[in-house]
Amino acid sequence: MNPIMQPPKPKSNANKRELLFTFQSIIVTGLLAFTAIAFFFQFNLRIEKGIKVIFAPFLSVVPLLFVLSILRDLRKGFKEGNYSKNEIIRFCLITVGITLLFTGITYLLTKIDALEILLAAIMAILSAVFFMRSKIKDILGMSVITGIAEGIIVYMIFLF
Amino acid sequence: MKLKQVNTAFLVMTGVSVLVFIYLVFLGYDDIKTLKDIIKVVAAIAFPVPLLFFVRFIIIENFLPQNTDAYKLKNQKPATALLVLTLIGSLVIMKLAEWLTGQQLDDHLIVAHLINSTTISSYVLNYMLYNNLKVNGVLSGLLLSLAIHVFF
Repeated sequence: MNPIMQPPKPKSNANKRELLFTFQSIIVTGLLAFTAIAFFFQFNLRIEKGIKVIFAPFLSVVPLLFVLSILRDLRKGFKEGNYSKNEIIRFCLITVGITLLFTGITYLLTKIDALEILLAAIMAILSAVFFMRSKIKDILGMSVITGIAEGIIVYMIFLF
Repeated sequence: MKLKQVNTAFLVMTGVSVLVFIYLVFLGYDDIKTLKDIIKVVAAIAFPVPLLFFVRFIIIENFLPQNTDAYKLKNQKPATALLVLTLIGSLVIMKLAEWLTGQQLDDHLIVAHLINSTTISSYVLNYMLYNNLKVNGVLSGLLLSLAIHVFF
């Protein structure tokens, strides 16, 4: 057999989970950027003061960096084995809950009529995602991030 | 990598999905006028991806069975039966749903986009990771019935 065709040596499940988590947060980031662009063009948002647009992201980024620097990891990290049935049901319910919540939050975002406020709100959500990404490396963080992504998509498909 | 696994069936299924997608876009070409419609289509295509990652996250175990002749022989009949059953079943369900609600699927292309993208994503996931022939049959049946329903 050709040695190049050999499958790569199996990684541990925790590593795979971490990779999936990273992908998921990248998807959420993309979706949030997508939302910002879509709403900006769809509602013809006005820019009240140009300087505010520059400052809007810092509002949530600075506290995030502070929190990240002082806080230790909240969770132990990813599990190697399987999750039990109860855990799966619980976290699926959490995901559905967050999905509904974020459908509502995306609806609230459509009510914003100025670009700087929209940017600030999007950056706040993004900061929350990065907080999950770096400190809550767990199935809880994964459920929340999945919920955020699905909430945005559900709103876009059915209500927008 | 897993180049060896990419065989004809996989390519054909992906091709069918892409064809359905292109056909749906052309079908709804008159409807896609504003940015809003484009956003809806993109969202419908992106819909299954986070869900799949979540499912994969929870069920991390790799069930990849050895693609041996014995395994194929054992699952041949159930997989084929499931393919035919799903094909007929989902065709009937779609016709029934259209008849019950009095609406055509063609008028709600977002739903068709959703079914298409969800099915092909699950198919790819199943193909790459689990290679479960029975699930393959079900998903292929679903996709084919969607294609038949949309085309005729």
